[in-house]
Amino acid sequence: MVVAVTNLTYFLAWAYLDPRANYVGRRPPLSEEQIVNLLEPRDLYDGTPLLVRWWHWFSGILFHWDWGVGPTGQSVNEQVAYRMWVSAELMLGATILLTVLGIALGVYSASRQYRLGDRIAQGTSIITMNIPIVVAALGLVLLAIAFNETVGTTVFYVTGSSSIGVSGFFPVLVDTLQHIALPTLALVLIGYAQYHFLQRSLLLDNIKSDYVRMARAKGLTKQQAIRKHALRTSLIPVTTQVAFSIPAVFTGAVLTESIFAWKGMGQYFIETITKNDIHGVVAVAAFGAVITAFGAILADIAVVVLDPRVRVS
Amino acid sequence: MTTPVLSVRDLTVSFPSEAGRVDAVRGVSFDVAAGRTLGIVGESGSGKSVTSLAVMGLLDENASIGGSVTFDGQELLGKSDAQMSKIRGNGIAMIFQDPLTSLTPVFTVGDQIVEALTVHNPKLSKRAAWDRAVELLRLVGIPRPQERVRSFPHEFSGGMRQRVVIAIAMANDPKLIIADEPTTALDVTIQAQILDLIKTAQRETGAAVMMITHDMGVVANVADDVLVMYAGRAIEQAPVDELFADTRMPYSIGLLGAIPRVDKTEKTPLVPITGAPPLLVDLPDACPFADRCPIVTPECRAAEPALVTVGGKADHRAACIRAEEIRAGRIDGGPVYPVPEVPASRFDEVPRDLREPTLEVENLTKSFPLTKGAFLKRKVGEVHAVKGVSFDVREGETMAIVGESGSGKTTTLLQIMDFAPQDDGDVRIVGTSVADLKHAREERALRRDVQIVFQDPMGSLDPRMTVFDVVAEPLRTVGTAAKDIGPRVDELLDLVGLDPAHSDRFPAAFSGGQRQRIGIARALATNPKLVVLDEPVSALDVSVQAGVINLLDELKGRLGLSYLFVAHDLSVVRHIADRVAVMYLGSFVEHGDVDEVFDDPQHPYTRALLSAIPVPDPVRERTREHIVLTGDLPSPTDTITGCAFVSRCPLYQTLDPAEQTRCETEVPALTGRDGVHVNACHYR
Repeated sequence: MVVAVTNLTYFLAWAYLDPRANYVGRRPPLSEEQIVNLLEPRDLYDGTPLLVRWWHWFSGILFHWDWGVGPTGQSVNEQVAYRMWVSAELMLGATILLTVLGIALGVYSASRQYRLGDRIAQGTSIITMNIPIVVAALGLVLLAIAFNETVGTTVFYVTGSSSIGVSGFFPVLVDTLQHIALPTLALVLIGYAQYHFLQRSLLLDNIKSDYVRMARAKGLTKQQAIRKHALRTSLIPVTTQVAFSIPAVFTGAVLTESIFAWKGMGQYFIETITKNDIHGVVAVAAFGAVITAFGAILADIAVVVLDPRVRVS
Repeated sequence: MTTPVLSVRDLTVSFPSEAGRVDAVRGVSFDVAAGRTLGIVGESGSGKSVTSLAVMGLLDENASIGGSVTFDGQELLGKSDAQMSKIRGNGIAMIFQDPLTSLTPVFTVGDQIVEALTVHNPKLSKRAAWDRAVELLRLVGIPRPQERVRSFPHEFSGGMRQRVVIAIAMANDPKLIIADEPTTALDVTIQAQILDLIKTAQRETGAAVMMITHDMGVVANVADDVLVMYAGRAIEQAPVDELFADTRMPYSIGLLGAIPRVDKTEKTPLVPITGAPPLLVDLPDACPFADRCPIVTPECRAAEPALVTVGGKADHRAACIRAEEIRAGRIDGGPVYPVPEVPASRFDEVPRDLREPTLEVENLTKSFPLTKGAFLKRKVGEVHAVKGVSFDVREGETMAIVGESGSGKTTTLLQIMDFAPQDDGDVRIVGTSVADLKHAREERALRRDVQIVFQDPMGSLDPRMTVFDVVAEPLRTVGTAAKDIGPRVDELLDLVGLDPAHSDRFPAAFSGGQRQRIGIARALATNPKLVVLDEPVSALDVSVQAGVINLLDELKGRLGLSYLFVAHDLSVVRHIADRVAVMYLGSFVEHGDVDEVFDDPQHPYTRALLSAIPVPDPVRERTREHIVLTGDLPSPTDTITGCAFVSRCPLYQTLDPAEQTRCETEVPALTGRDGVHVNACHYR
């Protein structure tokens, strides 16, 4: 399936993207011969028959695990390998934080259904869920700059993933935290609400179930019964959803990375399209496909771990 | 009498709702003493479950509770959740109605029993708690408790799960066990086991039991004292013998008269209570039963009668101003409820052999393939849901198939309704073999003659269609002219006792009994000769059930219908059927005229089934012999070489080894007086 999708993307990319366009309008204008000389060794020359180009590209992957090079000659392999971890650095923390926050809030508001705490939490979540990431990110940037100016030193960096020339374990850690704080905050702010609502409604279904009443009849207090009996069963669907979202950790967040100038996968995706980097686009698509399949497997494993009813069959 | 364990005084419970304040319980008082059983009877909405949940402190937080509940000298109302949790599961234990949902699916049964133990004895070691859990499982009769303690609830059958729930209830030797309809969701043979078990649990722990049920038979079986509830109030309260022998309140009389009896031959129509219970919102100060009462007087509507002693007996109290006039269910020398008449059928005088058969089933078989593997489904075996079943239904006759869940009775019906051609048998409907159906047109023509009524009156009516559309749909399907549909729908609704003026309403506006009447009207629309009824009354309350059964009886007589009736309730079957077949694991084990089979059951399974049904008569119930079957229905995937009933058969236990071998290896055939009474047992 992944192979089929990747090859389909290759042909689609050739139908829409034109590497030659990168050189149009150069001053001084490049001659046809110069362009051909630039593109031909990179398998991007459209004079070569499409099938021949395809075979070059495909056999490179098959035999050498070489995903080709971009129009400027940078290796796609290197780019993906590097950017994947940049994205992961940003997204992993954010995903963990927003999942934990969402579930915790879900449990809180479900066990206080229709009381003040529940209503405030729900109201807040509805608002944050509907803030576009661009607004949230730029708002945070403005706040951080104001904060930096107030304290007189740069506490939060608003662009990039690291500063140049920092070395040593602790300086790097502090530097990373300074860079990562704002984009993470932005992602958590807009993302946690989905788990809040999901967890709340699932837990409410389970709180009303017979076995929670039974647990209370055994002598557990309502809170104990909810935490022990209702939460475990209601976590099953939430876990599935979280597992499916883990691949997104590596494919990155397009807008957030662009706003905060992180050189991650999301930004790479935009960049490859604008630069007519066919091999890069295809690699991003293939990577996404592989990682989605991986997420589905992860979700299945999570369900098997949590739900004994599935284990038997 | 010793001091009561639980003493409830003037308990009131009300909930806010959109229609206003719902007074679910309005001033109920009772005592339960150690070692005794109080049966609380009533229909759905009478407030019996709410009462028990109020005692447990498990009501929703929006409920407002008044009065007093004293348990073991302590006042329970007003205690916090944390304080109540010390008493729940320790002093008071509860058994819930549905064993399928009352255990947490993701924990092993052992975990759940251990939890009940450790939450009240934090010092108990893990080892000791698990040992005690195994001990409890053994006590409630779970085979191989050492292994089963690590099983998950889904690996247990319904009856086994209810045993686990009882084990949890017994765990801390409670002083009071509240059982809320503990057997309603179970089959009769399992019900008998569970009732026995609750009695055992009571003996072991010396606990007081509060048994909540709608089944008068269960009450007669287990209770010492009875409290009848109606519209949130106790309307009659007496020791069990007194209540059954000298019923004073018309509602209690109606409740008893409405149930068919499995031990009575005569077929007088049941006495339904007309109308529906009142909504518990803004009740006027009048007897809440006045609108349904056959002996209502103007004084009944003047004030709500109090629960007062009657007949000069201190322990018999009733809430009826005419209670003193009523003796043993009769007033002024006549019955309280007028007995309805059943029209005679034109087939009554015709002997069975001379009637035309409307349905002939010969060697009906259905098996489902068992597959294994995630991608490539390999066939690893077959489940034989129905194994070579043969019977016929004649004009104006009701044939009933009874059996526990999983016995294959519904599959038999569906096979007939599907017109499924048989490899080695035949299904003939009004003389037409389903094997001869060539075109969809012929099939549709035959479909007019057979119609079905389903069990669940809620689920079988499309909530977005008006009643008119529901009833008109089969008429349109068979191509009735548009101008004839309107009058026909009115006629049908009138026939089933509904007001044709209500035909533009949606099903949601009707009560359960009325919805089932709509379902019957729909089935009758095409003038069928045979109506297939799949548990048509099992989802209904007793008083409503009686009305529907009478309607079915009446329609049979008036329209000359034949019924093929599937039920697990043998009392209903005895009342309505002419012929009966008892089904066990896909085969008939006994088949014949209903009185023959019920009065002289021959197959050990039929005997057990009949003896398992509690009879609503405490005196008879105490003297009757109960055969309690051990174990559950075997899985249909098991390969059984001989008689399918061997694993549970009480007769088999008494046979000598040579005879036992015959049971194990040879499939018994149906033998006996052909067409009158046959059974499939080698030794009967």
